[in-house]
Amino acid sequence: MIPELGTGALLVALTLALYGAVAAAVGARRGKAALVESAQHAALGVFVLVTACILLLVYAFLTFDFSVRYVATNTNLGTPFYYRITAVWGALEGSIVLWSWMLGLYTLIVVLRHRTSARELYPWVLTVMLSVISFFLLVMTVAAPVFARLSPVPGDGRGLNPLLEDSGMITHPVALYLGFTGFTVPFAFAVAALVTGRIGDFWITTTRRWTILAWYFLSLGLLIGGWWSYHVLGWGGYWAWDPVENAAFMPWLTGTAFLHSVMIQERRRMLRLWNLALVILTFSLTLFGTFLTRSGVIASVHAFTQGAIGVFFLSFLALVVLTALALIAWRWDDLGAQGALDSIVSRESAFLLNNVLLVAAAFTVFFGTVFPLLSEAARGVKVSVGAPFFNQVNVPLFLSLIFLMGVGPLIAWRRASLDNLKRNFVWPVAAGAVAALILRVVGVRPVLAVTALALTVFVAATIAVDLLRATRARRAMGERALAALGGLLLRHNRRYGGFVVHLAVLVVAVGVTGSQAWSVHTETTLQRGEQTELGGYRVRFDGLRESQESNHGKVTGTFTIVGGRGAGEVLEPAKKFYPQEQSPIAYVDYRLGFVDDVYLVLGDFARDGSSATVKFQVNRMVSWIWIGGLILTLGTVLAVLPERRKAA
Amino acid sequence: MACNGGASERRVGVRTVVLVLALLALVATGAAAQPPGPRVDEEQVYDVASQLRCVVCQNLSVADSPSEMASQMRVIVRERLAAGQTPAQVRQYFVERYGDWILLLPPRRGFTLLVWLAPLAAVIVGVAIVAVLVVRWTRRRPTTAPPPLDRAMSERIRRELEQEP
Repeated sequence: MIPELGTGALLVALTLALYGAVAAAVGARRGKAALVESAQHAALGVFVLVTACILLLVYAFLTFDFSVRYVATNTNLGTPFYYRITAVWGALEGSIVLWSWMLGLYTLIVVLRHRTSARELYPWVLTVMLSVISFFLLVMTVAAPVFARLSPVPGDGRGLNPLLEDSGMITHPVALYLGFTGFTVPFAFAVAALVTGRIGDFWITTTRRWTILAWYFLSLGLLIGGWWSYHVLGWGGYWAWDPVENAAFMPWLTGTAFLHSVMIQERRRMLRLWNLALVILTFSLTLFGTFLTRSGVIASVHAFTQGAIGVFFLSFLALVVLTALALIAWRWDDLGAQGALDSIVSRESAFLLNNVLLVAAAFTVFFGTVFPLLSEAARGVKVSVGAPFFNQVNVPLFLSLIFLMGVGPLIAWRRASLDNLKRNFVWPVAAGAVAALILRVVGVRPVLAVTALALTVFVAATIAVDLLRATRARRAMGERALAALGGLLLRHNRRYGGFVVHLAVLVVAVGVTGSQAWSVHTETTLQRGEQTELGGYRVRFDGLRESQESNHGKVTGTFTIVGGRGAGEVLEPAKKFYPQEQSPIAYVDYRLGFVDDVYLVLGDFARDGSSATVKFQVNRMVSWIWIGGLILTLGTVLAVLPERRKAA
Repeated sequence: MACNGGASERRVGVRTVVLVLALLALVATGAAAQPPGPRVDEEQVYDVASQLRCVVCQNLSVADSPSEMASQMRVIVRERLAAGQTPAQVRQYFVERYGDWILLLPPRRGFTLLVWLAPLAAVIVGVAIVAVLVVRWTRRRPTTAPPPLDRAMSERIRRELEQEP
C-alpha cells in the first residue's frame, strides 16, 4: 500500500512542479498574474506532496514495512525507534527525498517573502526553483526510486549502516542539505536577473540573507560532520579530505568568495559578471558534489550506491552550466560595464585577492579530488591524493586568507591613505609580531604553528582595535561601556556580525593549528592492570566485558586515568559486532577538555580479557573547533538581524 | 574514511584479498626475521603511517584506520624504524610492493607532478588577472565624475569617510 501511495504522490508532485515552472515563466512573459498565481499553488502542492512522501516513509520505517526495498535495506527489527526515523535519509534514495523537501520548503518561503517585494524577478525565481525540484523528483521516481517494492517480502531487513546510528544523524545531514539547497535561492535570483535583464544590484541585495543562511548551514554541516567523524568514525581526527568532505567544502569556498564579492558590487557597482559566475559556480558545485559522491565514481564512506544516478546528475549539471553560460552570453553587453578603482591599496583590492585565493583553494581541492580519476583515465595508473597533499597545498592559501581577513574589514574603501593604514594596522601588526616572538621564546618550534597563531593574533587585534575605537566614540557621547558595545553590535549588526563570524573562523583556525601541531599518538598492547603514559596522562587497562545490545554484540574495555589530570575517570572504548557487517565497528571513548582530549580506540584483544591493544591519543585544542561553531552561530544571527541603522 | 565496515567494505574485491594475503605473509616473515628492537619514537611511526594508504580502506591512512590490515602495516612500519631504517626507506619499502598508489602524497615527478603544479598555476594566473585588472581600473577614473569640490571640502569628506567604522 505504502509504495503505491508514495509513488503516486511523487508522480503528481513531479507533474505539478513541471507545470508550475512553465506556468510561472509563461505568466512572466505574457504578463499574466493569474498564471504566476497558479504556479504558486503548484509550489504549495509540491511541498505538501513531498511532505506526505516523507511521512509515508517514516510510517513505513516505524511499522517495519519490508515490502519497501528501501526500508528493508536500511533497517531491521532490532533498529531502535529513534534511528528508524533518521534512517529515512540514511541512504541515497531517502536523502534525495529530504533534499527535495527542503527545496520545496525554501520555495514556499521565497513565495511568502518575495511575492510582492521582487515583482519582476519573482516569477522567474519560481521557475528556476521548481525546475530544480522537478529534477530531484525525477531522480526519485526514475533513477533512485525510494518507494520501489521488494518481493518476496523478507522477514527481517538488512539493517542500517551502524555508523549512522548516532545522534549526529539528525543534525549533520539536515544542516548540510539546508546549506546545499539554500544556494539554490541566490542561484535562482541570479538566473532571474539574467533572464529579465535586471542585472543590477537588486538581486544581490535581495538575496544577501539567503546567501548568509545557506553559507551558515553549510559551515555548520561541515563542522558537525567533523564532530561526527571525531566521535563516531573512530580514526582519531575530524577532517580526512575525503572526497565527500571535499565535495561539501568546494561550494563552501566559492560561497565564501561570493559572500565577500557581493559587498564590492553593493558598494561600487562592479563585478556584476564575477558575482553571477560565482553563484552559478557555487550552485553547480553542490550538484557536482552530489554527482561525485552519489554516482560511485569515487569510493567513499558516503557513496551509497552505484547506478544510473550519475548520468542524471551529470546531465543536469551540464544543462545548468550551459543554460547559465548561454544567458550570460546573451546579456554580455550589459555585463561588460567595467570597474574603476581609485587606488591599488584599497578594500576592493583586498577583496579581489580574497576571491582569487578562495577560488584557487576550491580549484586545488577539485583537482586533487578528481586527479586519481584523471590519472587512471589518461595513463591507466592508480594514484592516491590524500590528506597530506591537501594539507600541504592549502596551508599557504589559508594562511594568506587569514591575513586578508585582518586587512579587509579595516582598510579603507576606494583609497587607503597612509594615515588610514597607520591608524588601523600599527597595533595589530605589533601584536602579531610580539605573539610570534613569545611563542618562539616559550619554545614553540613548528614554523607553521607560529605563523598561523601570530596571524590569528594579528586578525583578532584588528577586530579589537575596531571595537575599542567605536565603543570609545560612543562612550564619548555619554553612553556607558556595556551599553555602548551592545548598541554598536545591534546598530551595525551587519558589520559586527561579520566580525563575530571572523572571530569564529579564527577560533577554528587555532583549533586546527593546535591539533595538527601538538597532538600525540601511541599504540600499545596492555596486560590487565598495566599502565601506559602519553602527553602527561597515565592510563590503566582494567579489563574487558561482553554485552548484547538490541541489534549488536559489544565488547567494552575499561581504562582508568590514574594520577595527574582527570585522575579516576574511566574511559570505555568498545568494539561493536553487527550481524550484517563483516568487521567490527570501533566505538571510541574520550575525555574532552579545553586544551587536551584523551582519546582511546580499542584494537585487538585477548578473548579472555587479559590483554588489549589500544590506540591512545592526546589530541590538543580540538574543542576550539566546536566552540568556533557556536561563535559562528552567534555571528550569523547578528548578521541577519534586520538592520536598525537606518531607523535610528 | 570507511574502514569501520559500512557500505565500502562490502565492495572489497578479489584484488584486495590478494593484497591482504600477500601482506599477511609479509608480516609473518618480517616478524620472524626481526627481533624486537629498541623502542621507537611513536610520533615517527605515526608520521610515516599517516603518509601511507590503508590498502583495504577507501580514504584512510594506515595511521588512522582501525582496520586489522592497517594495524599490521603499522607493525611493519614500527619494526622497520626500530631496525634503523629512515622514514624514506620505510616508504620505499611499501612503494616497491604496492607502487606509488600507496603514497597519499603523490610523488613530485612525472605525471603526478601535475597535481602539484596545478594549484600553483591557479594562484599565479588568478593573481596575475587581478593585478592586470586593478592596474587597468585604477588608470580609468570613475566615469561619473562628481562636480568639482574645493580641496578643503574633499579632504573633509575623505576624513569623515574613513572615520566611518
